Amino acid sequence: MKKLLALASLLLLTACATVTKVDTGTNTVGERMSISLDSSWNHLDFPGIKPAQVWTMEGVTVDEFLIYAGIREGQAMHPENPSGSKQKDFVFHSSMQAEDIVALFEGVLTRDNSVFKLRKLEPYRFAGKNGFRFEFERIRKIDNVQLRGVGFGAVDGGELFALLYQAPRLAFFPRYQAQVEAIARSASLR
Amino acid sequence: MNRRQLLAAAGASCVAGLLARPAWAQSAANYAVPPRFVRPDIASDEGGLWAMMDREEKSLRRSPLVLRDADLKAYVEGIACRLGADHCADIRVFLVRTPLFNANMAPNGMIQIWTGLLLRMENEAQLAAVIGHEIGHYLQRHSLERLRDIKSKAAFGQVLGLLGLVGAVGQVAVLASAYAYGREHENEADRIGAFLMHQAGYDVAESAKVWENLLQEAQARDGAEPDKSSPLFATHPAPPERRDALEQLAKALPGGTKGSAAYAAHTARFLDEWLQDEVKRGQYAESLVLLTRLIASGTASALASYYRGEAYRLRGGADDQELALADYRTSAADPNPPAQAFRGIGLIARQRGQRAEAAQAFARYLELAPDAPDSAFIKVYISELS
Repeated sequence: MKKLLALASLLLLTACATVTKVDTGTNTVGERMSISLDSSWNHLDFPGIKPAQVWTMEGVTVDEFLIYAGIREGQAMHPENPSGSKQKDFVFHSSMQAEDIVALFEGVLTRDNSVFKLRKLEPYRFAGKNGFRFEFERIRKIDNVQLRGVGFGAVDGGELFALLYQAPRLAFFPRYQAQVEAIARSASLR
Repeated sequence: MNRRQLLAAAGASCVAGLLARPAWAQSAANYAVPPRFVRPDIASDEGGLWAMMDREEKSLRRSPLVLRDADLKAYVEGIACRLGADHCADIRVFLVRTPLFNANMAPNGMIQIWTGLLLRMENEAQLAAVIGHEIGHYLQRHSLERLRDIKSKAAFGQVLGLLGLVGAVGQVAVLASAYAYGREHENEADRIGAFLMHQAGYDVAESAKVWENLLQEAQARDGAEPDKSSPLFATHPAPPERRDALEQLAKALPGGTKGSAAYAAHTARFLDEWLQDEVKRGQYAESLVLLTRLIASGTASALASYYRGEAYRLRGGADDQELALADYRTSAADPNPPAQAFRGIGLIARQRGQRAEAAQAFARYLELAPDAPDSAFIKVYISELS
């Protein structure tokens, strides 16, 4: 039943989301971060997703590109979880090390009882700062789809800036991974 | 979608049903197990229900969340067979990787048991208590009764008439899913479960301990009175009442074995994965109760100490870093320490500016786990610290 509620919530959110096209070229996200796009993306805005932005190529039930453009000290990641269940919020602290920040993402991505496996965590120069890059696999509980994902991030001025992309592992992830890696390389902060 | 709803509705008996009040005055020793069920006519409501469960089972078989370990599966199926006796041939067990306490049995004989439940069992008898309860619902065909009860309600009659049988089953399932089993069904499943445990040679007293352990976790999460803050408990009798009643039933059915060693032997190699999933839930208050219990019982205490350290560190309360460090050190001092315990020590020492201890701990971590996913990062840390 919980799965149904989650799916229904997801569909409902998708149904009431507003979708806008994100054009190619340099885009400013949030107050400080800019990224460059070679292709257009779809930006979905619906309740509960802030402070992240969610973009997609194929539709949010297929692939998700989450953009965190300045998560502040003490701020929760996706505080209103869509299933409406009594779940813990995962809160960012600027003192967190890379492992702790990845654990935050793990927490968010397994809040629906999905299975998450970290494949790689490595240093990465993100937006001109010493940051991290990680790869993961996820089995989405709601529909048993096996996903692959990649994330990038860095903390600057006490704020977390990060990108996270996930999509079904066989076709969609390989199709868009290069684009996502290029976007990560293009990230810059003011 | 209807199949999933039907599973939720008719998957005979969520173990949340363990929370209902039993009718202890009844004789627990006089249950006559019905003969094996014959597949019902597909044109009947029961046949429709089985067909939908069959489709759900087909889907579950392909799920990547199902554990494929033949040994563990055979072990749990063996417990189910001991309990189900003549019904053994009709019972099929699926172990599902999900870190919550849950199990259910569908009317076609499919049992799902989640790994969060397996993690919380202290011995074979406790798992037998859960499976016996589920088989109790199955033997009494409670899910069908529930569907028929709902169908008989006049308010739904017109809707069902318009939908035909298949649609009706699906729609009834939707409606049924909104309701838990009634107390009578839960009482009956408890009584039958205890009877089956006793017949199979298990210690019935362990069923009360399952409840007591769950209660402690719920209290840690919801405060002293979980029945007032948790919807699950709020719809059931007061927890102490339930626990006491189970203990009374155990007195009526004394003896039996716990099977602690066998349970530990079959589940030990999964504990790392299950504990990792548990801590990732972010429900640290519950996890700390569970992990403290595991440490006290001596079950994989080095691993449990490491994960309790993780729970403290990730919770990040006032004294949590110190508590985490103490647990990491305990874990690391074990003759067979988990590599991650050294990473934990290194992370805290690095944060505190204790460079030598951090570098040493990270080096030991990589020595034990050279292919760890974060090895590249740890090497950078070591380089910085040196």
